[in-house]
Amino acid sequence: MPSLGGLAILFMRVFSYLPGLIAAGLGVALTGLPALPGRAQTAPARCNLVLAGRVADHEAGMALLGATARLLETGEVSTTDSAGNYHFHVCAGTYHLEVSFVGYRSESAELRVTTAVVRNFQLHPDAVQLAGTIVRGQVATAPPTQATAVLGGRALAATRGQSLGEALLNVSGVAAIQTGPNVFKPMIHGLHSNRVALLNNGVRQEGQQWGQDHGPEIDPFVASQMTVVKGAAGVRYGADAIGGAVLVQPAALPDSAGTTGQVHLVGASNNGLGAASATVQGAPRRLPALAWRVQGTVRRAGLTRTPDYWISSSTLAEYNYSAAVGWRAQRWGVEAFMSQYNARLGLYPVPENWNLTARGSSVAPLPASFTYELERPYQQIQHTLFKLSGFYKLNGWGGRVGLTLAQQADNRGEYDKYRPRNDNVANKNLPELDYRNQTTTADLRWEPRLPGNWGGELGLSGTYQDNTYRPGSRFFIPYYTNVAAGAYALGHWRPGPWLLEVGLRLDRRSLDTRRPTRASGAFAVVREDFAFTTPAASAGVVREFGPHVTLRADASLLQRAPAANERASQGVHNGIYEEGYDITRPAGAPALGPETARSAAFSLSWHDHPRLNGELTVYQSQIQNYIYQTPVPPVLDIRGLFPSYRFQQTDARFRGLDLLVAYRVARPLTLGLKAATVVERDLRQDDYLILAPADRLEGWVRYEAPAGKVKEGSSASHRVRGFYAQLGIQSVGRQTRVPRDNEVRDYQPSPPGYWLCGAEIGGTLRLAAHTPVEISVTATNLLNTSYRDYLNRYRYFLDEMGRNLTLRLRVPLAFGAPKT
Amino acid sequence: MFRFHSRFRLATLLLATPFIFSACKKDKAEPKPDEENEQITTVTYTLTPPPGGGSPVTATWRDTDGPGGNNPTISGLTLAANTTYTGAISLSDETKSPVADITAEVRAESDEHLFVYESTPASLLAITRTDRDVRNLEVGLATRVVTSAAGTGRLKITLRHQPGTKNGTATPGDTDVEVTFEVTVR
Repeated sequence: MPSLGGLAILFMRVFSYLPGLIAAGLGVALTGLPALPGRAQTAPARCNLVLAGRVADHEAGMALLGATARLLETGEVSTTDSAGNYHFHVCAGTYHLEVSFVGYRSESAELRVTTAVVRNFQLHPDAVQLAGTIVRGQVATAPPTQATAVLGGRALAATRGQSLGEALLNVSGVAAIQTGPNVFKPMIHGLHSNRVALLNNGVRQEGQQWGQDHGPEIDPFVASQMTVVKGAAGVRYGADAIGGAVLVQPAALPDSAGTTGQVHLVGASNNGLGAASATVQGAPRRLPALAWRVQGTVRRAGLTRTPDYWISSSTLAEYNYSAAVGWRAQRWGVEAFMSQYNARLGLYPVPENWNLTARGSSVAPLPASFTYELERPYQQIQHTLFKLSGFYKLNGWGGRVGLTLAQQADNRGEYDKYRPRNDNVANKNLPELDYRNQTTTADLRWEPRLPGNWGGELGLSGTYQDNTYRPGSRFFIPYYTNVAAGAYALGHWRPGPWLLEVGLRLDRRSLDTRRPTRASGAFAVVREDFAFTTPAASAGVVREFGPHVTLRADASLLQRAPAANERASQGVHNGIYEEGYDITRPAGAPALGPETARSAAFSLSWHDHPRLNGELTVYQSQIQNYIYQTPVPPVLDIRGLFPSYRFQQTDARFRGLDLLVAYRVARPLTLGLKAATVVERDLRQDDYLILAPADRLEGWVRYEAPAGKVKEGSSASHRVRGFYAQLGIQSVGRQTRVPRDNEVRDYQPSPPGYWLCGAEIGGTLRLAAHTPVEISVTATNLLNTSYRDYLNRYRYFLDEMGRNLTLRLRVPLAFGAPKT
Repeated sequence: MFRFHSRFRLATLLLATPFIFSACKKDKAEPKPDEENEQITTVTYTLTPPPGGGSPVTATWRDTDGPGGNNPTISGLTLAANTTYTGAISLSDETKSPVADITAEVRAESDEHLFVYESTPASLLAITRTDRDVRNLEVGLATRVVTSAAGTGRLKITLRHQPGTKNGTATPGDTDVEVTFEVTVR
């Protein structure tokens, strides 16, 4: 293995930096878990005293939102909420508390804390004029009424080098449909593909996202944060976001002069993966209103290894880049962004006629030895995005108007395992399936400034999409033109701790498909036109119970018009035959109509608590005329029998639960638990639906070195900061909720459940005075377990990846001294 | 100098961009016949009895609309017992105009192809490949079929495409054709 040697050395080095405490911590975690609660009740109990109060204006008495309360002894900061309240959790002792707010004179007080203390402040307006200071800020957008998970900071850093879909697996309630080791398609609460909206830098990703074997064509290194909206979010993100939305968000462009950057380096042992990504951004000193950023990523991997064999043709090669430039004035701003994603992903060749021998026996894997060389079959994908956006702040109640225009081009070539027999054709080396997609979108959004506790936004969106395939290549997805227009309105009212939100949306989609057929013997083109008007409505409530508890509830009605692939796709790719509903619709059966989702979700979250944090979400979606893909009896072709899938329509119900709990048992030690389950029912057949994620349970123990004081005389702790170590176990059950006729429907029974063990250590290494290098080593499938996952489309003949060690480095860059 | 209304008008205009695109593209492109897409729609296996033994017998496997859609039409073989036939196989793509002769392509690259004939039960037919490529490995475009006792069964014909890897066995390469015929010997 190429990089294993280097990795091992680095691994050893990192270990040598470990303070002895960690080893002890891990030891406790491994052997003495039952002993922990006892310890937790003694020492930290005294450090949980509440120090809180209210900050108000001395003259008017009104609460000050956003004032800063700072504990000088610990450096802890609390910002006041809308009621003017700040609060801390402290140990007993004497503290100096300083309260400050722009335009007011700061005040401080010495407080002796033995029990819970309440101390209110009334600040005096400062006589000093704030001449020449520009305070810029975004109006805080209303919190979403759906359960929302954010992947950022360390959690995101721990996924660097992975594909987008794989990274999102860290969010509870998110699963992925896999196609071998390289293609991950996100699935939220059991819904995927056309039902999950992906927003890349504010633009809806439009390409060949319909395919279950098509991963999102997005470079995750673009993002500084990823947000997953779990649950029906169709009013805001487009009518088909029944399952939810994934927002891939880059950081805002820099707003101060100077040039900075960062470099990410990732290496993995299992498949020899190497990834490097660099970002440089800045603003010229003379024109600080102008800001720019360039970013580029290279990613390459050889064959993936299961515990027992190499997976043939599983290499990947990827290069991506993006650039942004923006101009920001006081009342308006414009930004241009472009990005391109280029990938070649190897796919395991589906064994011939495997479905005949699959039941009851497993097909031997193809022999392979480690290589970086790309072999057929593979996918070659290029996705290009151009985006132009701007905003303007109007006077008075006018608020803010924003406009986004985007153009996307998605080219996806799928190379068959079989090379063309004719040498002239073979030498052209063209993909057998060659989809081309062009999409233009425009979104206008207006957020008026409403009086009192009212707020809201109005939006218009338009899409023009043209899909073709290379003339002469094989038909799979029809030529189609998709024109969609939508209008929505969201309004919210925030009386005190409540937030009530109502939304309405109306979309019109017209779809014009042209597909070839030879059913009558001769070549002919079938033209079909469909138009659907789909309404959507949602209502949601957020209720804050104090600073730590938030309750959310939402209900919605969404409709999604069927997409082109669900109607009229047909053909074989990589040894699998798939067809749309309209291709062989039974005589007399109604045409494929829109699906209607009635969803309700309820979520309870504890947050910002020093000890206990977590979230519990329960949800139900009832989808009338749910469109889904299911295996059908193998189709006979001149090459033999092919495993075959077909789109069907039924009434479905999804019920599920996600749970996340993190409990700090002692100051540096946290125990975590994550669980997700979803029950998918076919209401027409009174049966389970196929391809539902199996139940998942994950537990971990995490040690985080206390921040702050550096021990004298210890060179290691001078050099390593923010050290952490984590050990986790993941358990995935066997999917037993399968259709009654699964034995004849599916090609194999669902695979047995599995346990995986993982670990991670990391910290910040201070190589030079201003070069803090973030470093981490992650081990997945530590025990090298052989397993298969129900949601992997290649589970019929492939095991999952074996043990993998990943080394990640992040180095910040600073070019010259930034202007202060 | 912009005023609010003209800005609003500008925004409306920009928002309409996708629809302007659509308005311009009235003549929407349509799929063309897939000329570059190699396929085999028809397999014909002709067995000629010795002189005076009657007329040739033909088995045909045909699927002109590709996988899915209409089922393939398959006609089987009815052979006489204790007879030696001369077999010839031909492949064509009937979706092309004129019909593409794949047999000629296979013959031109015979050192990359191997036909495999399997009879079930094995005693029903004894099949021998009688032609060889430049490296003296069997090809199977020409065959000899010997029947013995009367019976019924199946004949599976597989074409293996083995560019650069042909070694006389069926193992290397990929399957280009795999068809099965019903066989009656009486």
